[in-house]
Amino acid sequence: MRLDDSAIDNCLKCSLCNTVCPVLGVHPQYPGPKRLGPELERLRREGVPADTEWVEYCLGCHRCDLVCPDQVSVSEMIARAKAEHRKPLVRRLRDWWFARPGLLGALTTILPALSNFVLSMKPARFLMSKLMQIAPQRKFPKYTRPNLRTPANIGKERPRVLLFPGCFIRYNQPELGRTAIDLLERNGFAVEVASTECCGVPAIANGDAALARALARANVRSLANRVDSGLRIVTACSSCGHMLKTEFGGILEEDKEFASAAQKIANSTFDLAELLMAQLDAGKLNMNFQRTDLRLAYHAPCHQKSQGIGRPWYHLLRLIPGVTIEDMDAGCCGMSGTYGFKQEKYKVSMAIGQELFESISASHPQMVATECATCQMQIEHGTTVKTIHPAEVLIQAYDGRRSN
Amino acid sequence: MESNRYDVVVVGAGISGLTAAGAAAHRNLRVALVATGPGSFVSGAGWLKAQDIMRVSTAPELREAIAFFCEMARFAGCPFEGDISAARYLPTILGDFQSVALAPLLLWHAEPREGTSTAIAGIRGLSSFDENFMAERLNERARTISPGCTYTARQISLSRDLGIPATTLRIAKYFDRDPGFRAELIGALRSAASGFARILVPGMLGLDSSAEQIARFERELGCSVGEIPTLPPSIPGLRIFHRLESYLHKIGVELFRGFPVQKVEIHDSSCIGLQVASPGHPMNLRCESVVLATGRRSASLLGGAYAGHDRQMRPLAATGSVVARNLFVAGSLLHSCADNDSDAMEILTGYRAGNLAASTRGYYAVR
Repeated sequence: MRLDDSAIDNCLKCSLCNTVCPVLGVHPQYPGPKRLGPELERLRREGVPADTEWVEYCLGCHRCDLVCPDQVSVSEMIARAKAEHRKPLVRRLRDWWFARPGLLGALTTILPALSNFVLSMKPARFLMSKLMQIAPQRKFPKYTRPNLRTPANIGKERPRVLLFPGCFIRYNQPELGRTAIDLLERNGFAVEVASTECCGVPAIANGDAALARALARANVRSLANRVDSGLRIVTACSSCGHMLKTEFGGILEEDKEFASAAQKIANSTFDLAELLMAQLDAGKLNMNFQRTDLRLAYHAPCHQKSQGIGRPWYHLLRLIPGVTIEDMDAGCCGMSGTYGFKQEKYKVSMAIGQELFESISASHPQMVATECATCQMQIEHGTTVKTIHPAEVLIQAYDGRRSN
Repeated sequence: MESNRYDVVVVGAGISGLTAAGAAAHRNLRVALVATGPGSFVSGAGWLKAQDIMRVSTAPELREAIAFFCEMARFAGCPFEGDISAARYLPTILGDFQSVALAPLLLWHAEPREGTSTAIAGIRGLSSFDENFMAERLNERARTISPGCTYTARQISLSRDLGIPATTLRIAKYFDRDPGFRAELIGALRSAASGFARILVPGMLGLDSSAEQIARFERELGCSVGEIPTLPPSIPGLRIFHRLESYLHKIGVELFRGFPVQKVEIHDSSCIGLQVASPGHPMNLRCESVVLATGRRSASLLGGAYAGHDRQMRPLAATGSVVARNLFVAGSLLHSCADNDSDAMEILTGYRAGNLAASTRGYYAVR
């Protein structure tokens, strides 16, 4: 954003952003989005020292942006202040790694079995907590050697889409990537797996603006030509989708070479469910669902809400005969990617999730469906109810089988 | 079939938009509500002033619309009470009495009653709520309004950090989530209320709390509690909004929050859908009819085309013909309401527009 940007004057200090902030509800001293965003931004722009540790506590959930009657980008202001904020050495080192799930994934998957073994060992987790301030209560996701490829027999006549895999699918859940490909193929698309970098959400969340820009450029370079030739980009991760749609344009705004390409990429990016819903609207959705008796609770991730696409997964799952699904509508889960892994934020993260955990327990589902990988981790951590990506439910309904 | 096709799409989640969406949804139609902010009603006290209602009391359907709104609020767990033809008094934080016709139940609990001794509990550290100032002024004014009704200032201290500065918002959030905090509040209020018939507190008893939860709180406290709304964001106003919104969500209204509508698509005098300015690419909603309840502050979606409206609340183009046969306006966006713009009119026009829009065929109804 430019320094002379007057959008900040749209802030009328109505405090509605504070009313929806998940952190403000659980942390007594947290000043809230109105203070950390527009109020301190005025001082920061004037060059008045206004640095505060509290910007580190912003989840980046974008709920403040969504409730603002005048579309002030509250969380973007906080994210920029976060990038300027100076952290103590240990946290700086830790966050350097957290900002780079791609690098972390590439290294751990050289010997995935060994990495998984070490990461699951109690002494290792104790050491990580002491040396890196990583919450010892957290379990790391399992790493798998990346093996997601464009299917060999890719259909020539069908409309082709480009799957943006994201780090979690690439290094932790390649089977989810294959599920996404399978779903798209069953609905008339030919799928090509894009060779891209990390989307950059973890970089922004950990205050590394330079890295976020470098990743955005690399991704634009790899995607621009494909989008120009009319391909649509599909994401199965709500944070990647959020990043491609809402942040690329802003990050590369003043970058002549990339700005218009970033905008085109944003225009061409679809959540997997969004694309399937479009097929439904066009009467082209494959409706051969087998009866699947399953009681589900659904949690809408914050980065799905920030895309402004409604609840496509919720509606898709409701098409399956036998599935009953209840939308928890119980706020943010509190995980926010790497946030919940940070030792000093673990308690805040769990306190935020409490409302969701209680709603899930009260609803007694057999499983929880949510499309964000870290929401899944948090829900399983807070409730012990098995939590999966809704795409897994959908593909099982096509196959007529059920996992437990 | 569930997709992005709706019978009725309502734009704006102010009091008129919520009423319109409720009216259409109660007819079992498939309804979407698109909105950015929550409208101006939530900034207020959450009550409907008597003078506003009296001024429009002859409007046809007013009674029906208000009855509908009260019913919807009751289903939503935040019952409204009162009568549109009777003015009653409620205390304000300025130590004055406001003449009110309709208000949430919890605000009525603060109504002056003859011969009743009332404690007003301030919270230590909470600014913009001065119990001493209020008690002094209310005692003065109560002499004429409600003889023998006396107010005494009390202050309670809470161990919890209420933020810098302390706000009713933070108290409300603790109240919603933390049983320990409610227990402490009950303890503190109980001793402040001892010897009094009831106790009044700043509007702070939860952003999401239902009438049942408040009743349980009162039972545990053993004394009647009334709220006095504070400065915006006023918790009683926000609570109504939250409860109504989650009620609409529960009865199947699809909520699209956070992004404005960028285009109303009209073909051959018929509105076929809306484009929501979602990031990346617009989100297209197809629909049978549309209610615009975007208020006066938002940019007009009709551009210069809006030159008044017909008797069915359909906007007219400069030529005098309707902009679209299935497009309706409600709330303060209606030009003719400019001089009697009030929350009562918002409810009335929202109700009318919701019903008019709902008289389409109902293709996509949830059956």
